[in-house]
Amino acid sequence: MARQTRQNSAQGAKVNEKGLGSFSAFYSHIMNRRGMAARPSTGKHIARSSVYIPQLIPAVLLVAYGAVVIYSASLSIAEASFPRHLLGIAMGLVGAFLIWRYDYRTLQNMTTALLVTDVILMFLPKVPGLSYTALGMTGWIKIPIIGMTFQPSELAKLVTIYLMAGLGAQYNGKIDTLRDYLKLCGFLCVPFLLILTQPDLGTGLIILVTGAAIIICAGAKRSWVLVTIGGIVALGALVVVMSMTPGMPHPLKQYQLNRLIVFADPSVDPAGDGYNLQQAKIAVGSGGLLGKGIGHATQAGSGFLPEAHTDFVFALLAEEFGFVGSVLLLALFGGLIFSTIILANKIESPFGKLVLVGCATMWSFQLLQNVGMCIGIMPITGIPLPFVSFGSSSMLVQITAVGMVQSVWHHKLKAG
Amino acid sequence: MSPIVVIIIVLALVLIGLLIAFFLFGRGESRFTFDIGGGAPRASGGSDMSSEGGFKSRLFGLGIFSGSIIGVLLARLWTMQLVSSSSYSEQAESNRSRTISTAAARGRILDRNGKELVNNRASLTVVAKSDVVDDEIEMRLLANLIGMPEMAVKRNIEDSTGGAQSLRPVAVDVSRRVVAFIDAHQSVFTGVSVEERTQRHYPQGTLAAQVLGYTGTVSSDQLKKSSSSDSKSSIAYESGDVVGQAGVEYEYENVLQGVKGEQKVYVDASGNVLSYSSSVEPQSGSDVVLTIDSALQKAAEDSLAKRIAALRKQGRTDCHAGCAIAMDVTNGEILAMASAPTYSPSVFVGGISSDDWKSLSDDSSHYPLMNRCIAGQYPSASTIKPLSSFAALNYGIATTSSTYYCSGYWTGFGKGFGQYCWDHAGHGTVNIQRGITVSCDVVFYEIGKGFFYSKHPEGLQDTYKKWGLGSKTGIDLPSESEGRVPTPEWKYKYYASSDSDSRTWQGGDTTNLVIGQGDLLVTPLQMLCVYEGIACDGTMYRPHVLKSVKSPLGDGSVVTYEPQVMRKVTEKQAYLDVVHAGLKGVIYEESEAQTEHFTNLSVTVAGKTGSAQTSKSQPTGWFIAYAPYDKPKYVVASVIEYGGYGSEGAMYVVRDILGQIYNQPDTATSVDNSGVQ
Repeated sequence: MARQTRQNSAQGAKVNEKGLGSFSAFYSHIMNRRGMAARPSTGKHIARSSVYIPQLIPAVLLVAYGAVVIYSASLSIAEASFPRHLLGIAMGLVGAFLIWRYDYRTLQNMTTALLVTDVILMFLPKVPGLSYTALGMTGWIKIPIIGMTFQPSELAKLVTIYLMAGLGAQYNGKIDTLRDYLKLCGFLCVPFLLILTQPDLGTGLIILVTGAAIIICAGAKRSWVLVTIGGIVALGALVVVMSMTPGMPHPLKQYQLNRLIVFADPSVDPAGDGYNLQQAKIAVGSGGLLGKGIGHATQAGSGFLPEAHTDFVFALLAEEFGFVGSVLLLALFGGLIFSTIILANKIESPFGKLVLVGCATMWSFQLLQNVGMCIGIMPITGIPLPFVSFGSSSMLVQITAVGMVQSVWHHKLKAG
Repeated sequence: MSPIVVIIIVLALVLIGLLIAFFLFGRGESRFTFDIGGGAPRASGGSDMSSEGGFKSRLFGLGIFSGSIIGVLLARLWTMQLVSSSSYSEQAESNRSRTISTAAARGRILDRNGKELVNNRASLTVVAKSDVVDDEIEMRLLANLIGMPEMAVKRNIEDSTGGAQSLRPVAVDVSRRVVAFIDAHQSVFTGVSVEERTQRHYPQGTLAAQVLGYTGTVSSDQLKKSSSSDSKSSIAYESGDVVGQAGVEYEYENVLQGVKGEQKVYVDASGNVLSYSSSVEPQSGSDVVLTIDSALQKAAEDSLAKRIAALRKQGRTDCHAGCAIAMDVTNGEILAMASAPTYSPSVFVGGISSDDWKSLSDDSSHYPLMNRCIAGQYPSASTIKPLSSFAALNYGIATTSSTYYCSGYWTGFGKGFGQYCWDHAGHGTVNIQRGITVSCDVVFYEIGKGFFYSKHPEGLQDTYKKWGLGSKTGIDLPSESEGRVPTPEWKYKYYASSDSDSRTWQGGDTTNLVIGQGDLLVTPLQMLCVYEGIACDGTMYRPHVLKSVKSPLGDGSVVTYEPQVMRKVTEKQAYLDVVHAGLKGVIYEESEAQTEHFTNLSVTVAGKTGSAQTSKSQPTGWFIAYAPYDKPKYVVASVIEYGGYGSEGAMYVVRDILGQIYNQPDTATSVDNSGVQ
């Protein structure tokens, strides 16, 4: 393989082949064979090179895996309609296809329009006639005529990735002045603060973490980043302390505070907020090595595990497919995320790099948040598990994000 | 939808459309480039190696970030799903499985000959699942079918005392018609079914009701007691369990109560039963065989009821209650234990109504639940005289040959404190034996006076206590009373609110005590045991109603009650002879009319009458006898409240019981009018 790699470099590709270390070797190998190696220096377009296979395979498998899980959930949970899940996948495929065909590089110079789009998306749920309240959040809209509900903040995640990547790419990997850094942070604050008004802390956190990763990768100085993170932690602590102190304004809602308290000690309230966490942990743990099998999940199937098809879908998966199934899921996500990071390392365009960084971070963080809350290492938030959780908005956006990565690959050679 | 809303939506859609169009067709235009403080982007291609290197290390950092997320999740999943999986599996299992207990039949209660006094009968019970309450139509139909108010049906179904998943009993003892209708209309009565459950049944009706006792739903106190670890009973009750609440049902609860079966079910989060799993069959309780002879018991109850009715008919309007006991003196077995008025234990089956309870515990019904044989406390009256004689002889107050002169009026404590003998005509010169036979009060007034001035002023009390008065016999029945033997110390405390003169023990107290009147209280069972002791020269077996316990398993292993000597009193044979002769005289010498009732018996009887002064117009009459005189086997006692002298009521009951024992009914018709006490 080393020989192949060297050979590839010798072909004069501008792609940096030294890689990210050993974990990239496998994907480098595949890329060399499928994509990069086939890429002729003439720039002639060959069909299979327009698809980034190492990322596509785990993505397709994840969607299929998710479909199996939702199918099993549909056996016992009435709301988990399998056809609707397939519809979400179909919509996602359409979105992914469109974004794959679309030359994403155009967006780099449209940051103003992206920002406007972001703001509009955040305000859509507040438009009378469109707004629709679900699960205590007003973050939903009901599209007239079709009657479908949609969560615009999900789409805003992707828009924000483009927005922050577009802004960050202009510094070409090195942000020299504090003023520029603060300006980037300021732009990130717009969608973040808007989403907090919905209120949707979970999606807000994803946007914050994704945007922060883009800013960091765009070349922010380490000291600034550390100070910023320190400031955020201090502010967060202040918010929590204020919310817990009687007589002071409570920025956090009581249920949010309860989730934090329960996270610290699940035994506090086993019938209320702690109950969900406890049931999720029991579901995951009782799955054992091989799981209980499709349709045999006692925790999810008998209703002990709430939201088994949406927020707690990982617990259902872990109960039915056991440790083996959990490892398979993590492996597929690993393939998806690392292939994206490797691609970011290989392509030249800073904008493309930062878009890929955004996608990889979004998936990593959502994985951590969703799986983490099911196994008790993260507080409970309503963040769906990408590609698996039931819900058209999430499915559409996540598959479209796969399309975003594919689009970067697709347009890597065309002249900007 | 208001026009403004429509306009806003249209505008929003137009705006979205414009944005989409812009993204698709606006390429190359740079008008929308955000001002980043200096015009064109600074990106200048891949020549800046330092920033390329920076990207690489940052992407490497991102890889570490993502990798460590997956690593942490893997590590945690490893411990949860592989290392501690079994504990989570247990929790999942306990989440979804529930245990429903299935009732075990109580043991039967039999008489000494194996005749069933209490058994169980099948009872058709309509049961319903808890979710039937949600269906109002079904509930209304069910209520109409059973003939119950809808609210009562609802209350019964909502009662979850048997466990959240248990089927709720709606109505017990429903008719076959109801069962057939429910079976034929299963589609209407979903969640409703008919079960055969068991209920307590009393084949002999009210027979021995106070001895048998009754069952009822376990009380919260009993629940608490059974759950505390130091409780001697090994049965852990659940709310709603039927347990013994009185009599033998209470006393032998541990034996009668079976072991509940268990049915394991799988439930969903709302508690609905999804499927049934393993079950353990219930194990019915052991049968209890009593020493009671149901024929003798019936004779005693019939005679008691007949005599009380007769006395009331004679104008003794306060006469409503009484009791009678028969015991085997050789082992303490209670052969009959009757208490009047009585009640039907079947009113307690399936829960007693508050009206029934009120009437049973009301004063006007004369407390039928009370077992007067063990809980009734009366002055012993003249039946105490044998014990007073023992006291006098033992403490040297009198000798077997001492004589006294009875003029009918006694002024031993001075003219101002004169007391009549019951026979105002007087008995002339009498000794102790004759004093017992004719129940001469003057003889005992003299003895009382002797004690009052002697070195042993409490010799009478000590003797009574020696024979077991003032303490429980320890019979195997609940709520036994201990009676009261008054002492100067007791009197001083008891009358604390009176002036010191009336609190102080007087000579009159001793003369009251020596003839069993005043503050002395004894239970019929205590006196029965005293006469057992007299008959058997001091040996008293502990009275008991349990003969044996039969296990329901297999052929039924039997555990038999071993008689135990409760008390052994030593008296000189000469003293015993005096008392025995005196008691025999009561039957055959005191009154001709009385004698007539016993001369038609083939065995010789000894006994004693008693008439306790009461606050009502008529005294409470006693009669205690044992037979045969030479080799005592049975001792029988009876007390009739406010029914007149012992010879007028209680004597007949005792005679009827002896008549049943020896199969020699009383044919004599003469009535004693002499007023012998």
